[in-house]
Amino acid sequence: MTPYVSKIDRRTALKWLSAAAATLLTAPQIARARTYVKTPTGYGTDPDMLNPTSPWDRIMTERQLQVAAVMTDIILPEEPPHPAPSMIGVPDFINEWVSSPYEQTQDDQKIILDGLDWIDAEAKRRFSAGYAECGHDAQVTMMADIATDTDSTYHRFFDRFRTLTLGGYYTTPAGFEDIGYLGNVPMEHYPGPADDIKAMLEERMKKIGI
Amino acid sequence: MKQPTPYDVIIVGSGAGGGMSAYVLAKKGLKVLMLEAGRDYKPEEETPMFNTNDEAPLRGVSTPDKPFGYYDATVDGGWTVPGEPYTSDPGGEEFLWWRPRMLGGRTNHWGRISLRFGEYDFKPYSRDGLGVDWPISYEELAPWYDKTEEIVGVTGGGIYHGANLENTPDSPPGILHNTPNRRLHEIMLARGFESMGIPVAPMRAAVIQKPMNGRAACFYATACGRGCSIKAMFQTTTVLIPPALETGNLEVVTDAMVYTVDMGKDNRAKGVTYIDRHTGDHKTVTANAVVLAASAAESARILLNSKTGKYPDGVANSSGTVGKYLMDTVGASSAGHIPILEGMPARNDDGMGGAHIYVPWWGYGQQARGELPFPRGYHVEVGGGQRMPGMGIAELANHSSVPFGKGLRQEMRRQYGADIYLAGRGEMIPNDDCYAEIDSDLKDRFGIPVLRFHWKWADYEINQAAHMRRTFHELIDRLGGTVTRGTGTDGREAIAKGGEIIHEVGCARMGADTRTSVVNKWGQTWDVKNLFVLDGAILPSNPDKNPTLTIMALAMRGATYLADEARKGNL
Repeated sequence: MTPYVSKIDRRTALKWLSAAAATLLTAPQIARARTYVKTPTGYGTDPDMLNPTSPWDRIMTERQLQVAAVMTDIILPEEPPHPAPSMIGVPDFINEWVSSPYEQTQDDQKIILDGLDWIDAEAKRRFSAGYAECGHDAQVTMMADIATDTDSTYHRFFDRFRTLTLGGYYTTPAGFEDIGYLGNVPMEHYPGPADDIKAMLEERMKKIGI
Repeated sequence: MKQPTPYDVIIVGSGAGGGMSAYVLAKKGLKVLMLEAGRDYKPEEETPMFNTNDEAPLRGVSTPDKPFGYYDATVDGGWTVPGEPYTSDPGGEEFLWWRPRMLGGRTNHWGRISLRFGEYDFKPYSRDGLGVDWPISYEELAPWYDKTEEIVGVTGGGIYHGANLENTPDSPPGILHNTPNRRLHEIMLARGFESMGIPVAPMRAAVIQKPMNGRAACFYATACGRGCSIKAMFQTTTVLIPPALETGNLEVVTDAMVYTVDMGKDNRAKGVTYIDRHTGDHKTVTANAVVLAASAAESARILLNSKTGKYPDGVANSSGTVGKYLMDTVGASSAGHIPILEGMPARNDDGMGGAHIYVPWWGYGQQARGELPFPRGYHVEVGGGQRMPGMGIAELANHSSVPFGKGLRQEMRRQYGADIYLAGRGEMIPNDDCYAEIDSDLKDRFGIPVLRFHWKWADYEINQAAHMRRTFHELIDRLGGTVTRGTGTDGREAIAKGGEIIHEVGCARMGADTRTSVVNKWGQTWDVKNLFVLDGAILPSNPDKNPTLTIMALAMRGATYLADEARKGNL
């Protein structure tokens, strides 16, 4: 796999730059010792809904982003015409999520970042190459280990990472296309399900006796 | 000689009660000043129509900044408003108070369910000896429901019209807009309920199906909770306030946080004082009459904070019942996964915002026979279908036989639209343990004393919540499905917190007795004849049938009375 390149739009990138600059001006020096500087607040209680931005700094390292990109595509491989998650920016969304200042994403921050570091180190230990480089078979093997062994410390990491991958993917127009979401189009009359679909349901309801 | 005052009426609040009051009074030629605590808001310009979740931060999920998600219309509000705290009595149960800070109030994101209260609902004490009767009957309010529905635009008619269910009034022919066709899962749910002997009715919702008064008909896309730029969904900001402004008789001042009703020497209200949220300046405005419609608890807070020599416990509180008989709706829910919906062909399940069906309360007979451990009813709201995916879509993988990799896409497609959601919304009996008072220890950032809530669900409500869950479990079982959420049948675990359903009403109830109520049947306070309360505060009971339509009908009726009395010189 070629290295993942972030698919952040220019407006968002500029917003981060200005947020980071503002933070640098005010943050105490000790904060610089961390690998990241977190913005103190989220988007506020009255954000511009027509021009949305998530104004916090991204905290994933380049390495973590690369590992995440490989993992998203192992979870949901490309199946033309349906793109792989890394082709539509899902790794950037996961970075946005784990970087968010909101408390409900804080658990994920630790689970995901620790998990990405762990799986990369584990790949080096078992296959003498990082997770992004150890080859497809090894990548699948390691994913299968944490997916199926529910007692594994890192099963929770798999579970949360898969949730973010699937949520990130199917909330996009490409995801709509794949899963079969046909709405969000204006129509003069609401037709309801077509007759053949209703007939299918009737048959199934008859079978269970309702 | 007295200075002539430029305003006939000051209205505090711009939501369902305030919006309707302003509409009626301005149309009748009275000079009206509307004061709104939040900012100005224009749905036509601000609503994110068609925007997808991937365009929003965190895919649009709920955050403390936007508790109902990024695209929810609520401005500067939610369960907490920065700098404007409230407290719950630590000895009781927690109460949650949803407040927005925007023109139009909660009508901008409301659930739009517009059910009429029925004839039993106005005489609950006479039927079961609990709570109090209303000082009016269904027949007295019915014409006001008609007029309100004609202005609001309510869907619920068409081929399913005329269900004639007990205590579930229909509207006269010609008022309701036709209900859109049922979605696939709604066809199935209706069949399931009917197999239990429970009738299903078309949803009555404030979403129009044909153009009216410069509003476009619903085009069956974009969730209503975002607001509606085409004005198909009722918001006072698109339906009531603009025509009131067009009369030239209404002036709207936003960011005006009212905290007292000011009394004159003749036992008349002379106006109100507010704080400009931007400058912090205190401003006093005067008028011939005052209407409080700031929301049930906020209107009570203003009354309780308006202390005078004659009214040491707050203006209009000689009965001592301001803040008392606070009620919310009983809520409990379950979710289920239904295999017969798996793998059905893709279809457009958007429809109008919210469900196209609902289940009115069906247990009057059982209650009459003493077979149920709770006295009042609940209705069921349903959800499901192939809706626009949000982050919750990932949960479909829990039903997948493939954890990742090849085959997961097919599993996601197969499971999409096979989950259903059921919510009960039931009537609470007013009780002595549920009320709001001024917290003597805490002030908000403006220096205004805040409310302290007291809350305790009684066994009636807890038993009802348990019954909701058992009903949902039976339905899901009949449909061959499994309960995925809301699996317990312990009512105490199942019941939502006080305030969580955002139907809080009471605190200044209407009645026929000056000793046990705050306002008369017109919403006029017993103590001060030119002071009215025309919001949810005046409801003496809280039937399961969501309160907004009734708040508007009562406001229309009360404001009409106010205008007549003003013309006669009686105020």
